[in-house]
Amino acid sequence: MGLVDLKQVTKVYGSGHTAVTALHPTDFSLQAGEFATVIGPSGSGKTTLLTIIGSLQQPSSGQVLINGQDTTNFSEHQRTDLRFNTFGFILQGSNLIPFLTVADQLALVDRFNHHKQHKMSRDSLFTMLGITDLTNQYPSALSGGERQRVAIARALYNDPPIILADEPTASLDTSRALQVTELLATIAHKMDRGVVMITHDTRLLGSVDTVYEMRDGVLTKQDAAGVKKIRAAAI
Amino acid sequence: MFLAYKEIMHNKARYLLVVVTFVLISYLVLFLTGLATGLARNNRTAIDALPGNYVLMSKYANKNLLSSVITKDQYDKVSSSDTALLGQMTVVAENPQTDKKLNSNIFGIRLTGALKPPVTAGRMPTKNSEVLADDSVTYYGLHRGDRITLNGSSQKYRIVGYTRDHRFATVPVFYTTLSTFRQIRFGSAQVPNVSAVVSKKKLTDLPKNTQQLTKAGLIENIPGYTAQTSTFGLMIGAMIGITLLIIGIFMYILTIQKVAMYGVMRAQGIRTSAIVTALFWQILILALVGVGIGNGLMIATSFVLPKTMPFYGDPMMMLMITGALVVMSLVGGLFSLRRILHIDPLEAIGGE
Repeated sequence: MGLVDLKQVTKVYGSGHTAVTALHPTDFSLQAGEFATVIGPSGSGKTTLLTIIGSLQQPSSGQVLINGQDTTNFSEHQRTDLRFNTFGFILQGSNLIPFLTVADQLALVDRFNHHKQHKMSRDSLFTMLGITDLTNQYPSALSGGERQRVAIARALYNDPPIILADEPTASLDTSRALQVTELLATIAHKMDRGVVMITHDTRLLGSVDTVYEMRDGVLTKQDAAGVKKIRAAAI
Repeated sequence: MFLAYKEIMHNKARYLLVVVTFVLISYLVLFLTGLATGLARNNRTAIDALPGNYVLMSKYANKNLLSSVITKDQYDKVSSSDTALLGQMTVVAENPQTDKKLNSNIFGIRLTGALKPPVTAGRMPTKNSEVLADDSVTYYGLHRGDRITLNGSSQKYRIVGYTRDHRFATVPVFYTTLSTFRQIRFGSAQVPNVSAVVSKKKLTDLPKNTQQLTKAGLIENIPGYTAQTSTFGLMIGAMIGITLLIIGIFMYILTIQKVAMYGVMRAQGIRTSAIVTALFWQILILALVGVGIGNGLMIATSFVLPKTMPFYGDPMMMLMITGALVVMSLVGGLFSLRRILHIDPLEAIGGE
């Protein structure tokens, strides 16, 4: 049993002859300690896949199991709580609240966390991410890389077993992007989390365990040769 | 409250605008309310003080005390230990020594009877040439000890004492004897007419050509009273309604600016109820601060208003208006509620 198991999941937007299939029947699984990445051009359906894994929307058909529990027919309320307790989201834009300082971004989580024993220590997170000096800054005063590291701290703070990152490096230069990717790999390997990263940047595949390619709603797991081919194509 | 407070403190300029709006609206509404209350009181306090709820007046008077005359035959029919005679007339009081003139009323009463007002300074009159004045006459330059004429009378009347809050038809009342009233109104103290009979109990078997009113009915029919109170009522009500719209629309605009942020919060598993709670906390904080400042300004203003201005800050009334403004602004938050309930966490991801 994995952290995430998708069984024959599809997603169709619209109906009749305006229907668009964003996701063809897809199987996907993620284990604890695994860093998986989904690459593909924009419009290929990779974000749709991430939103279904993250309980942001429900599939048109198929089954979604999180920690072995079938969440396919969860109510909106149940899915909200599932997102809060199980997933840490790192989004491409700023997913920080503009009027809260770095420290308050995490304090907000405390206010809604009713099982505080699972929480990570804020200070050790900040030290790990190198943002100890930024605690009293507002997001507008941070650089793109700093903001993304704060977002990672925010995502990890609630101690979720699964981290979902949607283009976390989109606004970063290569060295910063590599740092963030390394960080996600560390989180998966050292902290035993499942991490799914969506990207179209093939330079970042060095520390990744599993590579999927998404094309026109079809997800294909790549073997070593496939990965090599993708990286070669990028250069 | 955490989110609400942090956001206000981070965007002080923006939320200061909302607070200023609250201050101005509440100041205006409280001022109008004070004026409305003051004017209404100036019309009616002398009637409110009458010691009975029923008033017998002549039928032709159209419920207007100013025109009513009750003859001896009529009042003899209903007189009992529960009734008292009242003579009312609108007069101009003048101090010939200072040439100060003042529109006013005289209430002719039995000086030791049930209609005797409480004396706040000086003493009750004991003879026909003495009067007790509402103490607001001092604002217009008449004082205890002055000898005044009433409607240019050759007889002079000495003001021997004051009472407080006894005004009728917006002007102060002089209390005097029925004889003095009769002298001025009918030209002779021998004419036994009065204006009305005040009764503690409902009168049955009314004399011919008379009509019985309650105190409230009498007040409503003071010329101009109902028109004035309903005009003020309409203005105050409209302002409270406008508060709902202004604050509602203001908060709605601020809410749509934050839809993307709310989407992120929803994606992170923060419940809609938490966002809604933050919205209403925010409105409550802004409203309490704004209306609080408005109340403070109003209280400060009331100390510097001229005494002749008919302003009366009734704390109960002010509290009710303040409450209504706060409640209305919270109701205004319902515009935004709809939008917040429809926030889709998917908006945070942007979609493909």
